[in-house]
Amino acid sequence: MDTQEQELEDIELFQKHVSDRFTELSSPPEDDALLSVSWLHRLLDVFLCCEAEFEAILIMDRDPSQLSKPPFDRLIPEFIERAVKALDICNAVANGVDSVRHCQKLSEIVISALDQNPLGDGHAKRAKKALLMLLSAMNLDDKEGTHVKATERSWSFGRRGVNKEQIAGHFRSLSWQVAKNWSSAKQIQSMMYNLVAPRGAEASGLPSPIYTMNVIMIFVMWALVAAIPCQERNGLPTHFPVPKQLNWAHSLIGLQEKIADEWKKKEKKGMSGLLDELQKMEKLAQSLIDFTDSFHFPGDAEKVKEAAANVSELKEIFGRMDQGLTPLQMHIREVFHRIVRSRTEFLDVLEKGSAPVV
Amino acid sequence: MDECQSAIPAHDGDLHVVAAAHHIVKALGTTKNLSDDLRKILIDLDAHLSLITSNIDSKGGKGFVEVEERLKRVERKIVIWESDRIMIWDSGPKEASDYLEAVDEVQTLIDSLRGLSMNENQKQKELLHRASSLLQMAMSRLEEELIHMLVKHKQQSEPTYIPSPSSQRNVVYNESVVSLDNESVKEALSKNSCTDECGEYIVDLVPEHVIPDIKSIAKVMFASDYGQEFCEAFIGVRKEALEQHFDILENGKLSIEDLLKMEWCSLSTEMNKWTWSMKIIVGVYLMSEKRLCDQVLGKFGSVNSFCFLEIAKTTILCLLNFGEAIAMGPQEPEKLLRLLDMYETLADLVIDIDALFSEDGGSFVRLEFHKLLEGLADSVKAAFNAFGVAVSSNGSLYPFPGGGVHPLSKYVMNYISMFPEYCSTLNLLLEDQHSDVASLVSEPQCGPTASLSTSCPMACHLRSITSSLESNLHKKSKLHKDEALQHIFLMNNLHYMVQKVKGSELRPFFGDEWIRKHNAKFQQHEMNYERVTWSSVVLLLKDDNPGSSSLSKSAFKEKCKGFSVAFEEVYKNQTSWCIPDPQLREDLRISTSLKVVHAYRTFLGRNPAHVDDKCIKHTVEDVEKLLLDLFEGSPRSLRNSRRMMKT
Repeated sequence: MDTQEQELEDIELFQKHVSDRFTELSSPPEDDALLSVSWLHRLLDVFLCCEAEFEAILIMDRDPSQLSKPPFDRLIPEFIERAVKALDICNAVANGVDSVRHCQKLSEIVISALDQNPLGDGHAKRAKKALLMLLSAMNLDDKEGTHVKATERSWSFGRRGVNKEQIAGHFRSLSWQVAKNWSSAKQIQSMMYNLVAPRGAEASGLPSPIYTMNVIMIFVMWALVAAIPCQERNGLPTHFPVPKQLNWAHSLIGLQEKIADEWKKKEKKGMSGLLDELQKMEKLAQSLIDFTDSFHFPGDAEKVKEAAANVSELKEIFGRMDQGLTPLQMHIREVFHRIVRSRTEFLDVLEKGSAPVV
Repeated sequence: MDECQSAIPAHDGDLHVVAAAHHIVKALGTTKNLSDDLRKILIDLDAHLSLITSNIDSKGGKGFVEVEERLKRVERKIVIWESDRIMIWDSGPKEASDYLEAVDEVQTLIDSLRGLSMNENQKQKELLHRASSLLQMAMSRLEEELIHMLVKHKQQSEPTYIPSPSSQRNVVYNESVVSLDNESVKEALSKNSCTDECGEYIVDLVPEHVIPDIKSIAKVMFASDYGQEFCEAFIGVRKEALEQHFDILENGKLSIEDLLKMEWCSLSTEMNKWTWSMKIIVGVYLMSEKRLCDQVLGKFGSVNSFCFLEIAKTTILCLLNFGEAIAMGPQEPEKLLRLLDMYETLADLVIDIDALFSEDGGSFVRLEFHKLLEGLADSVKAAFNAFGVAVSSNGSLYPFPGGGVHPLSKYVMNYISMFPEYCSTLNLLLEDQHSDVASLVSEPQCGPTASLSTSCPMACHLRSITSSLESNLHKKSKLHKDEALQHIFLMNNLHYMVQKVKGSELRPFFGDEWIRKHNAKFQQHEMNYERVTWSSVVLLLKDDNPGSSSLSKSAFKEKCKGFSVAFEEVYKNQTSWCIPDPQLREDLRISTSLKVVHAYRTFLGRNPAHVDDKCIKHTVEDVEKLLLDLFEGSPRSLRNSRRMMKT
């Protein structure tokens, strides 16, 4: 039949596109490292493209009653449920980007402090204070309920603490927008629940792109959670139950494994996000704080030079964050709205296709 | 001899210029009535010129002696506070202004030292270094003072006006309301007028007298390029304060997943809380925070709007997310009123939101809220439509026992009697759906009784809904096998509808024409009932041969028996029927009584000879009394009532 052949062709094309897009994501150009801000932008673009194609295949020119019959009467509602979970993740991650922006702001102070010639003790102290806040902001225990409040921190020992430098706490309470017991890791886990690749006859029909889109959605959300700090990421699953035989999935699985490896490495050390810029910032902050600790005017020329180089690198990262973070939040919002629309479309289809109510 | 460059004149001739300038400055400094700013400028200038002359006068290291002296003096003033346990601003205004002056002096010294670009001079480098370390120490201290000040006065300035959502209409409209009588329903559902009056209301988040202190710290910190630290501290404290207010309002911070699954009672409460929180957070706290930011940071370029955005972001996005989750959800009829509340609140506040987030950085907030407003408008329309569908498709399997007022009638009429409150919003939102409805409404409102209120979109939709209800009731009435009961049922329900319209704010929207027509309808059913029930019974008592003498005994006996049997049949059936409205019940009894009792009395009267016969089961008085038992809703048997009458 003509329409059936056309459908098979469309599905094949869709999966080819998916494969191509993820292959491109796997081999980023130099300044676009994996899980960097700009890479995340590209990931979100890939999602939007795939989603648009997916919706076209499933909904356009199709008799709605077809999607109300088995197995779609189970597959579509499951997809919609996963989409809702993805919405909550979008919100949590967008909120998390704010905490990265905070780090960016703190690094700006560090840069102002250290970008001085000649560098004095005062500058170093100023930088150290900001660096301590920066490091604590990055390694914030993202467990629920550990808000660090400005009022609790420094004023619990009366006015001044014993050592002023130790008071450089995280003045900004990091309040999450989400419910107290919400966990991003659990959310991803529950999205993965019941995700089974279609077998036999289903593998060559419409269930196949549905499965593909599910996997893409889960992967994108998972990558976002891995990169951006958000509530309760402990226990983030590192294994995706996607069969390796699927051709379209190769690049995606490859990416997933790379990111999972990084995650496992960092998990033990305590977690900031895997966001490339954050990782680099953390390393720079560590070495700068060592520098400021040991600095006495006029300081060792070599070390000062090294510090200057670090500051210069930090400036670059700051620049990338400054340019890319707010747009990233907007991009995530775009994804959010697209998923909402998609959900509405599918709900409409289900309603139209089901038996009319007497 | 040091080579002075750029800013410093090297020639003797220039020395004279400098000396002359210095002299003028000193002379001007003695002028009375100088403004503070002008005086400050002169003091700075004096310092600079002193520095220049002392450098020129000197050879080598000696030139910085005065600078060093000044540095030492100001160092003492600043360092002395480091070991002190007391906060400077707690100690008194003089201590505070002295400290600020000292910091100013440090900055001046740094500026001057920098102005002399004598890179080779060790002394200069050393002094510059000392001064900038001192500055950092002072800045760090000012940061602490700032936070201390903000925290201390934040607690004292909590407005006592902390509203509680319980004062709002919190009654959930569901089936249980149906069982309440009219008065308590009205009371339970009536709006608390206070919530409406809450427009903008700016509070002092920080007491007035503290603002100048904060501003003076800001000035000094920004002048020394420590503005970022100021903002960081300021944002930190204010953000926390705002989030505390938000927490007090008990917004659950629920996930979209949870909200979509939540059962109606809890969801209704959450929607109420949101409506209230929006009014308080946006109308009061955000407006006040913005004002505070402008007061404190207005002079420093776009810093004030940046700080405000950082303070407000998390909270406002939390509110946005909830709204979006609601707009996404299935729009069932019972949600309509809460959705209207949310829509109206947001429509009122969207102007404030536009003003608060007018800068570029906040534009996405504005856009999202405008989108949300549209989304809520769609939700209202969807819920309204769902209501209409629910009314027409509400099916019954069994006839409603007793033929009384059906719960559907109660639900619909009570529900729509609350719509007039939202008249302007509903008219706005239902406008484009007006044209479809107008054609469905079978009773066009025209003529002298037509008015703006009866022809507005909401009125048309309301009449369409009651029309739907009527059709549905007709269907339901057919489930009764007994035709008389069908009429009782319809009479009851139509009467109820009319009473509801007359006795509520619905009246102007339905108009007198509608009331008249529907009065006529239920009266018609009243008459039909009488005809169906009693005509045949009364017929039995009719005089077959008018003009002739009284009946024979057997004929009389037969008629009596026939009447008794019929009457008892009606009695048995119809005592279990129900006419809830006392007035209506009374009317029907009177009317029935007139007919039946009169006919019976006439019948007995025509046959006086047989009056004492035992075949007369019931006297006229008996019949009168028995008729009173009808429509009480509780089935009776004659034996019971007999016994009761005898005692």
